[in-house]
Amino acid sequence: MRILRWWRYPGNWPIFRFDDRLLLILMAVIVGIFSGLSSVVLNRSLLIMSEWLHRYQHFWWFFALPAAGAALSSLFLEKVVREGAGHGVPEVIYSVSRYGGLLRLRSSVTRLVSSCLTIGSGGSAGPEAPVVISGAAIGSNIAKYFSLNDRQRVALVGCGAGGAIASIFNAPIAGMVFAVEVIVGEWKSVNIVPIAIASVAGAEICRLLQGNQIPFGHHVFKIDFLNIVASLGLAVLSAAATILQTRMLRSMHTISHKVPAPMWVRAAIGGCMVGIIGLYLPVVLGEGYHWTEILIEGRYGQILTIVALASFAKIAATALTLGWGGSGGIFAPCLVIGSLVGVTYHHLLVLFWPSISWVNEGYYALLGMAGLISGMLQAPLTGIFLIVEITGGWQVIVPLIIVSVVTTTICHYFEPASYYLKDLVDHGHLLRPGTDERILSDLNVTELLEQDCVTVHPSMLLRDFVDIIKHSHRNYFPVEDEKTGDFLGIVHLDDIRPYLFDPVMYDTVFLGQIMRTQVEVVHPDDDVLDVVRKMDVKGLYSIPVVVNHKYLGLISKATILDQYRKELMVQCHLL
Amino acid sequence: MDHQLLHIFRNNPLGRETLLQSIYFCKKVGAFPVIYIPKTTKFLMYFDNDVVQVDLDKSYLDDGDTAQPHAAEILTQAGLEPRFLEPKHYTASTLPDIHTGFNYMCCPRSISDMSSKIGIGYIGPRVRRIVKSARFPVLIASPVFKPWNSIAVFFGGSVNAVKALRLGFHIARVSGLPLEIFTQIGKSSKEEYQRVVKDRNLEKDVDQYVTQWHYFENNNFENHLYEVPHDALVILGAYGHGVIKHMVVGSKWETIQETLGNNLLVVGPNFVAWR
Repeated sequence: MRILRWWRYPGNWPIFRFDDRLLLILMAVIVGIFSGLSSVVLNRSLLIMSEWLHRYQHFWWFFALPAAGAALSSLFLEKVVREGAGHGVPEVIYSVSRYGGLLRLRSSVTRLVSSCLTIGSGGSAGPEAPVVISGAAIGSNIAKYFSLNDRQRVALVGCGAGGAIASIFNAPIAGMVFAVEVIVGEWKSVNIVPIAIASVAGAEICRLLQGNQIPFGHHVFKIDFLNIVASLGLAVLSAAATILQTRMLRSMHTISHKVPAPMWVRAAIGGCMVGIIGLYLPVVLGEGYHWTEILIEGRYGQILTIVALASFAKIAATALTLGWGGSGGIFAPCLVIGSLVGVTYHHLLVLFWPSISWVNEGYYALLGMAGLISGMLQAPLTGIFLIVEITGGWQVIVPLIIVSVVTTTICHYFEPASYYLKDLVDHGHLLRPGTDERILSDLNVTELLEQDCVTVHPSMLLRDFVDIIKHSHRNYFPVEDEKTGDFLGIVHLDDIRPYLFDPVMYDTVFLGQIMRTQVEVVHPDDDVLDVVRKMDVKGLYSIPVVVNHKYLGLISKATILDQYRKELMVQCHLL
Repeated sequence: MDHQLLHIFRNNPLGRETLLQSIYFCKKVGAFPVIYIPKTTKFLMYFDNDVVQVDLDKSYLDDGDTAQPHAAEILTQAGLEPRFLEPKHYTASTLPDIHTGFNYMCCPRSISDMSSKIGIGYIGPRVRRIVKSARFPVLIASPVFKPWNSIAVFFGGSVNAVKALRLGFHIARVSGLPLEIFTQIGKSSKEEYQRVVKDRNLEKDVDQYVTQWHYFENNNFENHLYEVPHDALVILGAYGHGVIKHMVVGSKWETIQETLGNNLLVVGPNFVAWR
């Protein structure tokens, strides 16, 4: 028994007492391996499923397959595992922001199965978000099992996310950058080191089981100054496509919720529409890695109109799949849309300036991919490193940076929060470490309560009150009903100042006559952020805490500041 | 009355019985019931080191329009001001977060299964998870409203049992009801149990509140449970021994919940004792 107990608390092992960063490194390896395995499992499952379904592609009823897959996926999430549906990544960020990275164990499996059903049957979505939540849930639950603290748990959630992305794309740097930039939101070595190790572990597991191949073939492009300048135009086009994709996803979500039908029926409707589009433009089906490779290699061979139409169709198909209840992520669709947008842009350049020797369309496909990923996530570093790693294209780094940064900037102007963060920002749930909201959200009313104020009664004479003031160091005196103990109001030292120097009034004035009855109060369950806002708006320095008409204590700005500083120091590792 | 009890209201006769039990408990211990009327069949509870998804039985959503008036009526009749919990945060649009800063929570024996499953001997998986993770004790209410007039604490000497005993003293103090301790003698002698109490500075409380300390000397624990008053609130610790020991030697709390129809106040391993 003792051995088991010892095993459950590695924080107590002598080696980790010496330096707890070693503990995180060990855990990061474990989390990286498991998240890598989960992404390999999903990858293989998708491969098997798409090969199996491929034989039915020429049948007229093929359009019904994405509908069936999406419906099954929705039924699985709603009825079998009772998972509150969502895209996965926002749930991870929400949990990191508000609950120290606590995630349900079931999330490590459920999204893998549901997204496999959606994507494998032809739905337009990516497997990355499901593996991210799976890896993050694995990290969170390993931290829970070993009783690690919140900070260590958040780092392991980042490790899970980083390991998953590193494994699915065979791209450890992109995995690390994604986890830090998007999930954890804090560039500190305490996070970066374990996440980097987990990303490497995840990528190595993928290489061990699937071979060390970059997802898309490496191509050499001869880039001149003109092509670099032309990339600015692509950035604008990519930003437009990103904004269209974001808004279409959101509007589809709203429209689908107005349809008076069960969730699985709505998912089937969306899947059916995707299937119909796919009959004419197969590029919209599935996660689309195969099509992305064709586009990078410049083998798509379609005229401008068809490529532009395919771009719109893929945007619509992704919105129909995810907005109507299918399960999956937006990474892979962004890669396909980005490459289609890039090829469209190349066709436009050739059309308008045919005499200039433009680089191969694959170059613009790469840039388009980086633009879409950066714009959608509003995470330019993730976009740059992901495209560089999955294509081996270090030589295009300069135009990649230009497209990523310009696209992100334009998108930020029209959509201040990324697709992942929009709902979190709207509901005030994005609480990055070290920010005002995060610090205040980590405080609660009960811990700020000051209970050293002397309570008084309305029938008390001023003379008795003056005696109380002599022995009190506070300026506020809550007034309670003598019989019921209910809170009635408050007396501030300023309220009695006019009477204080007039002893005649001592036996004629009762506190009930001078107390303030219109007092702003707060409840112990209120958020400290709301309490502070209330104090700011009303210009208050202290506010009573009342529950069920009973006075509990007082909250003052001085105590809030004191606790605020302590919390800030904890979050910034100064304590 | 600054202690709060979380109650998930089921809008049917069974739910009424459970709410009456919560109200009775609150009045006895000086706590205040906070009622959550669910609008979805699932919600999350984020504890210190665990997140529990509670999947409610569909009957919790029955006749949603009358749920709040029904609960308010029962509370008002009991002389309490109705207070309802509105979730502030959502993990997903259909997945509200219910905060866990309460002092007690009241559950029937199961909240995720049909009411036909509720009976002695069965405690649902969600209720078990809540007991395991919560910092507060969980009141597992009897299927019908059953007032209690004394307190019975099961004490086996473990850390969890000490927490249960402390809770028992707290409830005895605020309710003014007599308290009895029940101990199944195992490998340790009577003196060793008393020494545990002495080491934890609880001797004074024992003298003040305990009317009788029963020791069950032979191993027929189940039969001894007949000595527990039928109208006692039974306070006990659960999940204090770890998984392996639980599987090898079984658990007293399982035997108690399989045998007694009393209201149970269960203290899990994460409960933080207060005096």
